[in-house]
Amino acid sequence: MNALVSQPFVAVFRTEVLFNLKRVAPYALMILFSGNALLWWGWGPAITRGWAVNSDFYIIRLFCGFSFLTLPLFIAVLMGDPVIRDFRTGVDPLIFSKPVSRAEYLLGKFFGNFFVLICCQACFALTLLVLQGFAKPGMIVLSTRLWPYFQHFFFFIVVSSLLFGVVCFTVGTLTRNVKIVYALAVSFYVVYIAWQTSIKGLPVRWRIVLDPLLFNIAALSFEGRRAEWLNQVSISYDSDMIINRVVMLAVSLLCLTLLYFRFSTTERAKADDLASSQMSLLNLAPPFERLYHAPEFSHAPESSEPVAERTAETVALPQVAQVTKGLRAQLTQFAAALGVEFRLLLAERSLAAIAPLVMFLCAFELAVYEVAPEATYSAAYARRTVDALLLFLFGIAMFYTGESIHRDRETRIEPVLWSTPAPNFALLFSKFAATLLLSLSLITLVGLAAVAVQTYKGHAPFRLQDYLATYALILVPSVIFMVAAAIVLNVLLRDKYLTYAVSLALGGAFYYLAGQGYHHPLYNPILYQRWTPFDLVGGGSNLSLILIHRVYCLALSVLLLALALLFFERKSTGGLSDGSRLSSKGWTLLTATTSLLVAVLTGFIINSRA
Amino acid sequence: MLEITGLAKTYPSGVQALKGIDLTISPGVFGLLGPNGAGKTTLMKILATLLEPDSGRVAVGGVDFINRKMVARRMLGYLPQDFGLYPTLTAEQTLNYFARLKGVTDAKERAALTGALLEKVNLGQARKQAVGGFSGGMRQRLGIAQALIGQPKLIIVDEPTAGLDPEERNRFHNLLSEIAADDTVVLLSTHIVSDVSNLCGQMAIIRRGEIIAFSTPRAALRQMTNVIWETNARREEVATLKSRFKVISTQSFEGQVRVRVFSEQGRPSADFQPVVPTLEDYYFSLVNRAESVN
Repeated sequence: MNALVSQPFVAVFRTEVLFNLKRVAPYALMILFSGNALLWWGWGPAITRGWAVNSDFYIIRLFCGFSFLTLPLFIAVLMGDPVIRDFRTGVDPLIFSKPVSRAEYLLGKFFGNFFVLICCQACFALTLLVLQGFAKPGMIVLSTRLWPYFQHFFFFIVVSSLLFGVVCFTVGTLTRNVKIVYALAVSFYVVYIAWQTSIKGLPVRWRIVLDPLLFNIAALSFEGRRAEWLNQVSISYDSDMIINRVVMLAVSLLCLTLLYFRFSTTERAKADDLASSQMSLLNLAPPFERLYHAPEFSHAPESSEPVAERTAETVALPQVAQVTKGLRAQLTQFAAALGVEFRLLLAERSLAAIAPLVMFLCAFELAVYEVAPEATYSAAYARRTVDALLLFLFGIAMFYTGESIHRDRETRIEPVLWSTPAPNFALLFSKFAATLLLSLSLITLVGLAAVAVQTYKGHAPFRLQDYLATYALILVPSVIFMVAAAIVLNVLLRDKYLTYAVSLALGGAFYYLAGQGYHHPLYNPILYQRWTPFDLVGGGSNLSLILIHRVYCLALSVLLLALALLFFERKSTGGLSDGSRLSSKGWTLLTATTSLLVAVLTGFIINSRA
Repeated sequence: MLEITGLAKTYPSGVQALKGIDLTISPGVFGLLGPNGAGKTTLMKILATLLEPDSGRVAVGGVDFINRKMVARRMLGYLPQDFGLYPTLTAEQTLNYFARLKGVTDAKERAALTGALLEKVNLGQARKQAVGGFSGGMRQRLGIAQALIGQPKLIIVDEPTAGLDPEERNRFHNLLSEIAADDTVVLLSTHIVSDVSNLCGQMAIIRRGEIIAFSTPRAALRQMTNVIWETNARREEVATLKSRFKVISTQSFEGQVRVRVFSEQGRPSADFQPVVPTLEDYYFSLVNRAESVN
């Protein structure tokens, strides 16, 4: 207990909070959670089922749903790597050489990050609290309430988060490998659903006690009740719920105690010894997190010759042909850059969590909810995945394009790359193509998952052409547009976090306006809410308009890419012509003009027919 | 031959980094010496086509480096002062990538070239190792290996030995002297005087955006013969010595201060002994002289 009030604990705690204040993740989470609250408040089931949006029942229902959906992944983001970070940045010897005890260090780290996590999650509860003051038509709102939000937030969210926070923190700290934490977060859903299935046969009492999220509490306790009764019921915690929470707290404490005894501040000499004795080790840490030891560069004298004589041994370099002119050579350079960019994107840690999560959520929705045939079953399945995927693809376009564009500067490889004779388009569009390729891979995986679910549910016939038509006409051009827009924003704004903020604002505004009915095709390049499966595969009258719109969307994308190339920071040519021929700048301007003309022309057609 | 004429650069903040530099450099290793903030890195960036000068001309073998950047980049090998590499790629993958960007399209030629380059920089055994696990010296050697791709006519190395241990520094010096081929200019920017004395056939000293000396290390040392004097003094005497003589450097040594003085008029006083001059004496005497003029 002394550790909690000691000066080192406060210092570590405060530093963690300050560090998080300078990260983008907490702010992104706050925006996301507030947006989530707004969405569930206005577009949740409350209005259609007659539930009051600030009744005890509905608050608990929302909090449990919030815990289930957001808890594992976001907790892993904040709680997985606080200690790993110290070892990675090399600040650990500076800290551990100070009079800081293990308990002070670990508790300061844990509670500093947990505090930030709770602040982020509180945005969800606070947004709901504020939204009591507003009501949509048909929405039931009870008189303004304050205490239930705090009470239920603590009981349902804070205690659950504490347990998962402790687990993520313990695993991350002991393994010093954040990938394991993310894998744990992703596998949470599978484990949790399997756990729920396995305890389904138990009495209700045990199902409550053994449910770490209390996710089913609303369904188990109030199933079949009328809306009027649910709106008036005041919920107090029974003994089963309290036992559940006490068990969660006890397990958290146990985990922290285990961590305290197992945590070591020293380098892992044992692992290094094993490595140097040529044993094979399964090590999931990326190589740059390990201590490198190359036998040929060891400090032991290798030979009696002086260094100068040894290294003067001349290795003749072979003569090689260099081709940098002509389309073929430039495409080769583009392919090389694309290969590396795609490999680097695949090495992004977050992808290991996001890709399975997207697949799981898309497949989960198809598996759990009834899918009614629209033109055909295949078209209906494809449409459902398109709706679910768009949001993720927006996120992927925004975040991974940003990572890709700014990676070269962050890793300080940019001056080396920019001094090579690679054309600007190869360096810039390889990033565009890599993000696009990543998105297409994800679309393919989700498509395969949808096919699997459709087959499993026996919704025959399976029509591949319906999937292909839906994805090729709706998703692919939309993704191209989103990635192109992300590229041009990153090039123009030149700041990753500013671009994220602007992209989020634009995406949010678009989504809001579309929800209000402003989704005219001219300013709706992703055709949101403007198509049905009947248009694509059922012989609907809108197909030609959709096709024209897709040309419009692609022309806009080309225009954006041309603008990105024109404003790309790396300068290569000055004028529009290179002797008697157009320079790359000239070609870019020509492309921009042509695509603008195509966009204007197709825009006129769309406007006249929409 | 590298020709730099009237090169000037002023940053938007008002800092005048280069004030009309003129230099003609013949093939071989050329050392550009200067204190921090002298304008070395700005000059290097302009030569590497990464920064636009306000005025002036840069040409290598007659090719205009300012207006024909893509042609210039084919002739260029660049190792920046502060550079990184993709940590997840191996040394071989990294070199292969740069070779493709430099237009080495034939896969067999590329494989042979990357293999030879890795051997040359003594990273043959680490070829499959991810670059993220490399030590500073290994990273620096991989950096010079990528600069050597494509038989460059101008190789720019900006502060390459900063932060390296003596063994790595020695290794790096040998590499640099080895790569200075007949028709290649190796431009070494540094503030470490011994790097220049060990390696360079020609040298220049840059200070506050101006070239204040252009010479060869040998000629520079000749200039300093019989004009450098040294004495050991107590710490409290140093201020007096500085006010009386042209003190070019002071160094703590066994509880006293070793004071080196520049004097063309013979022995400054009976306490002083003549010493063999070093390139550091030349450098400090010039920089101090320029300071006193200012």
